[in-house]
Amino acid sequence: MTLPDRSALSRRAYVRALVAVGGGAALSACLDVTRDGDDDPDPVPSGTDDPDSLPARQHAWNEFSSRDEDGNVQLPDHHALVPLSLASDAAGDAEGDGADDDATAPSKDASQTTETALRTLERAYEWSHEGLIFTLGYTPAYFDRFEGSLPDSVDLPAPEALTARENPVFDEFDALLHLASDRPDVVLAAEEGLFGDRDELNGTDLETDLTGVFDRHDDRRRTGFVGAGLPASKTNVPGVPESVPEDAPFLMGFRSGFARTQASEDRVTIDAGPFAGGTTQHVSSMDIQLDVWFGQDNHHQRVSKLFSPTHAADELVGEVGDELADTSGVTDDGIASAEDAAREHGVVGHAQKAAQAREDGNPPLLRRDFSTVDGDRPGQHFLALQRGIGEFVRVREAMTGADLDISSANNGILHYLFVNRRGNYLLPPRSLRALPAAAPNS
Amino acid sequence: MAPDDPTADDAAGSGDRTTATGPALAPATDTTTMATRRTLLSRTGAISGALATGLAGCLGLGGGGDDNGEESDGETTDAGGDYGGRQPTVTVEDPPNAVFLPTHREAMRVGEPVTAGEFRFVPMLSYPHPFWTIAGSDDAAVERETPEVGRGVHMMITVQDRETGLVVPVDDGIQFRVRSDGERVGSPVSPWAMLSQEMGFHFGDNVGLPGDGTYEVEVTIPPLSVRRTGALAGRGEERVTGAFEFEYDDEFRHQVIGEIDYLERNRRGERGALEPMGAGSDGGDGSGGSDADGNAGHASGMDHAHVPYATVPAVDAYAGTRLVGDASAGGASSASADGEATAADELPRSDDAPIVTVLFDADADESDLARLAGDENRTQNPEQYLLVSPRTPYNRVPLPDAALTASIERDGELVAEYELEQTLDSEYGHHYGVVVSGPGSDTSGSGSESTAISSGDSVTVSVDSPPQVARHQGYETAFLEMESVTFEVPDAAEGGDTGN
Repeated sequence: MTLPDRSALSRRAYVRALVAVGGGAALSACLDVTRDGDDDPDPVPSGTDDPDSLPARQHAWNEFSSRDEDGNVQLPDHHALVPLSLASDAAGDAEGDGADDDATAPSKDASQTTETALRTLERAYEWSHEGLIFTLGYTPAYFDRFEGSLPDSVDLPAPEALTARENPVFDEFDALLHLASDRPDVVLAAEEGLFGDRDELNGTDLETDLTGVFDRHDDRRRTGFVGAGLPASKTNVPGVPESVPEDAPFLMGFRSGFARTQASEDRVTIDAGPFAGGTTQHVSSMDIQLDVWFGQDNHHQRVSKLFSPTHAADELVGEVGDELADTSGVTDDGIASAEDAAREHGVVGHAQKAAQAREDGNPPLLRRDFSTVDGDRPGQHFLALQRGIGEFVRVREAMTGADLDISSANNGILHYLFVNRRGNYLLPPRSLRALPAAAPNS
Repeated sequence: MAPDDPTADDAAGSGDRTTATGPALAPATDTTTMATRRTLLSRTGAISGALATGLAGCLGLGGGGDDNGEESDGETTDAGGDYGGRQPTVTVEDPPNAVFLPTHREAMRVGEPVTAGEFRFVPMLSYPHPFWTIAGSDDAAVERETPEVGRGVHMMITVQDRETGLVVPVDDGIQFRVRSDGERVGSPVSPWAMLSQEMGFHFGDNVGLPGDGTYEVEVTIPPLSVRRTGALAGRGEERVTGAFEFEYDDEFRHQVIGEIDYLERNRRGERGALEPMGAGSDGGDGSGGSDADGNAGHASGMDHAHVPYATVPAVDAYAGTRLVGDASAGGASSASADGEATAADELPRSDDAPIVTVLFDADADESDLARLAGDENRTQNPEQYLLVSPRTPYNRVPLPDAALTASIERDGELVAEYELEQTLDSEYGHHYGVVVSGPGSDTSGSGSESTAISSGDSVTVSVDSPPQVARHQGYETAFLEMESVTFEVPDAAEGGDTGN
């Protein structure tokens, strides 16, 4: 892959483009640009030799994350989703029965190598935004290779199309590594450390890597960013209009992930069976027709469609959601139900529909989604954690609003999003993150 | 005639109007060739030099090459872009809060119809257009889209059910995906549901293009979610795709700009509507009011330009009992443009939209009632069906994606209130309706007393939210702040009252 043209891009845009490209050359370029900047980058904090000091849940990110002035958890700025398939070398006979299965279970060696490599990451980088946080998740296709099936306590069906208008490709590879950091060079280096040509990471020697365990699918690698100012630095990309607000954390121009609209980590954690302490993850990747969103709708219309017509009429949102503090405001008095809004205003807000899927007022999903310009097009990688995939499907049905008598263009933000891919994953607890069997205790 | 300079002169519209003898359609063989070449796409049509003849006043003229050099200079992204700044400026000073004549008739290229499952669609292309998007009902909910960069096209399709010929007038999420040499061009596009005087209901949006060349467009039509009755029941339940191809070049730009037909300046902004495209150019100077309904020579279904045009039936084409409204209420004009009163003029209007309200009874209109009530209500003992059809004046284009409620009053007291459901019927097309159930049904109103609508009742149709449909020029100030309209139920015995 060719590297982006430094001279044509702002520093931020260049670094983002390097993360998207990936690989050793991109990492070198990224280090160069961070080193020769005026602001000498702070050293990256190193991690721990004591794995037990780290949380038992892979998805325990919140207490290690920064928060904004309203107490909302902020995601790391830079993200990579690295799709993986089990390498043929990693196949062993874990079942020990000598059976010659089509998709052979991974060997114990492969599992140990994986755990060793991940622990090296944890030694090299602090488990934080300044360092690196990550998860390794497994698809239903991965678990198909085992004789036993997943326990009933894990709700992990194969992905499927969730609206009538979409025709997505499904993630049918084995695993997905999600790397996240405020430091773009750390995201790149961690991936290079696991799959590339390095022998140290942040001063920590690499004992092993994952090249013998997994093959990467470079064509399905995904990257992204979230945080105030990052989307506005992407206007060099075709389809990202200049009118993206300067302070917007997402490409669509508004804040999201308000504390009171997010499930807690406890709420999304599997609470029984061998995978207790794990969670499920849905990842959908979509295009956004961002030029239409900013060029043809006005702010009033955008607020109506993203939040509610009442938010727009009463000016509750502010330019980028800054007036909302820690809530989308949908449960507050005076905000009509989605059905009422459809009838009275001819518009239903995305947040209004999402609120319909709450249980006893509690949202079931913990969103960790981020914006992207992969393929030089604006988009979103929608990543959500929930106890079971069924909960995601239920929320998605509410978002589709098929029961609402409303034009498609005014049905939340459906008009602007085009889902291309969907994938479901199990994020096992940390103790089972390295090539788990479908029935680990049997 | 030289291509019009939109800033200069207003005489062009009434000048050399040529009656076209027939469109230069793409040869059928193009379609075949394309389909084999693009195996990825299920069906491909091609837009060649086909031209919508009914609206192109200057067909075949003004095609000289003297302007081509100037157009091809458009390498920069200045306001003019590829079109050399010659796109019409479509400003009408102080338009009325009603349907009005725009500045010009459009020119466009029309493609061959493309089959997509149970649907057929006709692709159409013009220069990037200003239009108005709607999300709500107040002023802030209306936004004028002004194309920023003059490079690309206004891409449109009209979708038709193949079996019944009905033009699908509702927005269920159609998508365009543009490719060039197999590579994606830009983001996918969800075209807006739109109303235009010449094209009626269609889907369209401005689509930027990187430069001259051949483009393929894949069109995805999702399943219909709107209630369907009659022969439409059960149709359109699959997501289907179809595709077409077009050339973007100087010739295209020259055509869609050069063949624009400007109205005389003093007519722009007058109340009235352009005739539907394909309606022929006879008397088509935009006055409207030439047939019995005050419509300007409407085209029903396919016409010679093979562009289907969505119309709802004329007011006297409905069986059933037509409810009587006060034509002077709701901001109605008292007569059509030429002063001759017609049945349509007797219709009450709401923000310039005539509203037809018809009651179908089990006794008098059994087959219509059974069809309109639909299979899903068979067990509910349907006794009546109330049909409400708001439409554009002059052209009878349905006004979809609104929310309507009907309140029934008897002797001054509210006896029932119904939220009407948007419905497509194979006979009566688009409307909003409700099944009124007989005694013993659990959907009838409070108590066991029949809530059947009877003579002497008044029926108030209120518009909870106006048609959420984007507008081309001439429609952007109407059908927005829609007042309720009250009708009286005449003596049932008369049935099928035509109002005169």
